[in-house]
Amino acid sequence: MAEIRIKNLHKEFGVGEDKVVALEDVNLDITGHSFVSIVGPSGCGKSTLLNILTGIETPTSGTVAITSDGHVAAPGYVFQAARLLPWRTVTDNLMFVQEDRSEDTRKRCQRYLEMVQLGDKGTKFPGELSGGMQQRVGIARAFSIEPDVLFMDEPFSHLDAITARALRRELHHMWDETKKMVVFVTHDVGEAVELSNRILVFAKGGRLEDDIQIDLPFPRDPADDEVAVAKAHVLRKFEELDLLAS
Amino acid sequence: MTVTETRPGTAGSQPAPNPGQRLISLPAKIAKSPHLARVLFPIALFAVWELSLIAVEEVWPFAVDVLPTPSEVGGFMWDEFITDTLARKNLYETFFISLRRLLSGFAIAMVLGTALGLAMGLSRATNAFCHDWTMAILAMPALAWALFNSIIFGFDDRGPILTVILAGIPFVIVNVREGVRNTPRELFDMARSFQVPQSKVIRHVLVPSLMPFMFAAARYCFSIGWKGLVIAEVFGGQDGAGWTIKFWYDAHRAHGVVGYAAFFVIFAILFERLVFEPISRRAFRWRPQLQTEVVEEAFGEHHEHYGEEETARHG
Ligand SMILES: Nc1ncnc2c1ncn2[C@@H]1O[C@H](COP(=O)(O)OP(=O)(O)OP(=O)(O)O)[C@@H](O)[C@H]1O
Ligand SMILES: [Mg+2]
Repeated sequence: MAEIRIKNLHKEFGVGEDKVVALEDVNLDITGHSFVSIVGPSGCGKSTLLNILTGIETPTSGTVAITSDGHVAAPGYVFQAARLLPWRTVTDNLMFVQEDRSEDTRKRCQRYLEMVQLGDKGTKFPGELSGGMQQRVGIARAFSIEPDVLFMDEPFSHLDAITARALRRELHHMWDETKKMVVFVTHDVGEAVELSNRILVFAKGGRLEDDIQIDLPFPRDPADDEVAVAKAHVLRKFEELDLLAS
Repeated sequence: MTVTETRPGTAGSQPAPNPGQRLISLPAKIAKSPHLARVLFPIALFAVWELSLIAVEEVWPFAVDVLPTPSEVGGFMWDEFITDTLARKNLYETFFISLRRLLSGFAIAMVLGTALGLAMGLSRATNAFCHDWTMAILAMPALAWALFNSIIFGFDDRGPILTVILAGIPFVIVNVREGVRNTPRELFDMARSFQVPQSKVIRHVLVPSLMPFMFAAARYCFSIGWKGLVIAEVFGGQDGAGWTIKFWYDAHRAHGVVGYAAFFVIFAILFERLVFEPISRRAFRWRPQLQTEVVEEAFGEHHEHYGEEETARHG
């Protein structure tokens, strides 16, 4: 089981007049089979938090630890932009992040490409795909290493509604079956309520404002009363924060 | 009511109603083809050349002795082609000598320039130290290098080779430095988050991201180096392409000068077509829109944009 422990996390960029506080005194534990969504206005430090958790950025102060059964957890990261190697084919992009090049690994990559409906695009270069297809390759890449923790930064925001819904379902299945942890950033409160059992609301300036548990059974239908109530609750939080900010 | 579907893709492939119509459209097709336009250019060139000679002759009859006609130049080039020449070395020996010098200088400029460009791209201090020198070398005309080097080294290989290096190296330095400055940070971050080992990152992220810049550097270095070499051989050579064009000049053979200049152009185009183009096509297979563009690109001009375009894509 994976565990994320964040203590007194503080992150700022730049110095002097250019100083930007991206995260301020965040304390947070995420354990076990959680699906945690992070919501909040643009610039509130959501991507920065994921970057710190995946080791791309280092904290200004405070500590983060991600472990899985006592050892360092392997993260999979779906970025806000696809971040593919333009000079490698789709399959090679997946192979790039694998530990070995065995036939099993290759088959696994192909399986995840099929999951995002790109099974026949393995030999294409990213430049030959649409933006939404590239984003799906990014999703397949993160899934293909079968990570202990899956970090996703607005993975479905560039996709059409139908593809996004299908992939949301896949994501939920994968989470349900593998019992892995997912940390999911989104602007879409409805999406957060549909998928997560916990929603973290961040405010401008990188403060963690609210931590909402959602204990409704899956699958969740947006038309369902309880789901609608939960969504309204989170939205109300959002509006309160907006009022505070202005 | 019926629904008629028109499929846009099939219009052109419909069988021709009768063969006569096809015959009529054939000349139109040829007239529109880019090949005809290409062939037309040299024909027009020769026509203008011949006609202007006739016109000049009207005004100044003695000009015929000085100005070469297309047939004279053609004859000269043919004689050279079959190694029937008055010069000390035949066409192939001459170009082989020049090519050897060019490649030596090119290789040294690429290696040194890449090392310096990497250092300047990675370290601000190194950049500050070398920047003005690079700009100074860049500003110096190849002619000046050729003269200096022939004074210093006299008539051996070193002068021309050094001229190639000095003419070409600033382009390598500047391009490689830009390449290093524009390495795609977000891809390195991606690799780090997936815990991809360093050696793999260098091979699959760093090197490919530098490739377009290296390639622009190579093309520039080669074509500028080639022009520098010819000048150096005029002043400081006893053989080679530059020396030979000077030989024809000294011998008052205008058709020799023009014919040899044409060989320079042919040499450069052959190199572009047979070496740079195939390599570029292979290396940049992942950029489909580039394949056609490269074919049309002139030897040595505006390749600097090559790299910029690349970084724009990565944002
Ligand atoms: N590398 C960086 N250098 C300087 N400032 C940065 C950097 N990365 C992020 N920031 C700043 O930190 C703050 C938080 O940025 P972050 O990208 O985490 O926001 P976000 O919540 O992901 O926003 P969005 O929803 O628009 O993606 C912003 O003010 C941003 O300008
Ligand atoms: Mg973000």
